[in-house]
Amino acid sequence: MLEPLLESEKKEKVLLYIHVHGEAYPMEIARAFEYYVNTVQNQLQKLENGGVLYSRLKGKVRLFGMNPRYAFKKELETLLAKALQFIPEAEKERYYTPRLRPRRTGKP
Amino acid sequence: MTFKGLSLEDLALFLSDHLAKQGIDTVLSGGACVSIYTQNKYLSYDLDFVLLNYVSRKKIASALQSVGFREDGRHFRHADTPFIIEFLAPPPSVGEEPIGRIEEIRKGRMVLKLLSPTDCVKDRLAAYYHWNDRQSLEQAILVCLARSVDLREMERWSVKEGMKEKFGSFQDLLRRRASPRGPSAEAADQRKSEKT
Repeated sequence: MLEPLLESEKKEKVLLYIHVHGEAYPMEIARAFEYYVNTVQNQLQKLENGGVLYSRLKGKVRLFGMNPRYAFKKELETLLAKALQFIPEAEKERYYTPRLRPRRTGKP
Repeated sequence: MTFKGLSLEDLALFLSDHLAKQGIDTVLSGGACVSIYTQNKYLSYDLDFVLLNYVSRKKIASALQSVGFREDGRHFRHADTPFIIEFLAPPPSVGEEPIGRIEEIRKGRMVLKLLSPTDCVKDRLAAYYHWNDRQSLEQAILVCLARSVDLREMERWSVKEGMKEKFGSFQDLLRRRASPRGPSAEAADQRKSEKT
């Protein structure tokens, strides 16, 4: 949807994933889309360097989220929300519907 | 070239001027501005320069390497100084809005561009509003006590950021800190007036 603007399908997916999930770590995004983790880390790094994303350590994991101090955050989120409307239901269900309820330790 | 013993302000002045000569225009932001405005009541070791235009990392690295800085991840360091240099992507902004008037400090022919005291407080408040960072709140108070700032403008901006309530907490704290006799004396006065 936003590839012509972002010039990267991967960047669009990373941004949409974080937009929907609030925060995410590189391996989580890589697993979801079956990307190499380095590819995801590269995109996250670029977005963080540009001030679009923030990152913080939680234990040993680095979490990324939308930087609330990014000047165009509101406008970017509007764009992402609109892009999400055009994504096929099955894809939306698979990648962009976060599970919010807890999952007991040990369950597959 | 040596930077031994150079203060944060003098180092910022030198670097800002040196970068401008290479076509890299910046505005100093973050904790370094707090240090400058409060005369080091809060001492930052981070010099965060916001770029006014997009400049390649390579160009920045080359400009800093020519005066002895080395790249260390996202930062630049120099053996002579404990200060760490970082560059933030343009545009310079506080929350959703572009920054207002840019302040200038001049020494000889050197010019340092930095956030105005009002924007410096907004910048610190943004960290308090969005990350709940109490240290940033304290820094905002320090700048308000040290410099003349536009509180009305800060209130307008805070409301726009959706942070009216937190601005109220900041204002209460600022009032208490600004009272020369301290909060306990104020409370005693209030009890006295209630009795009479």
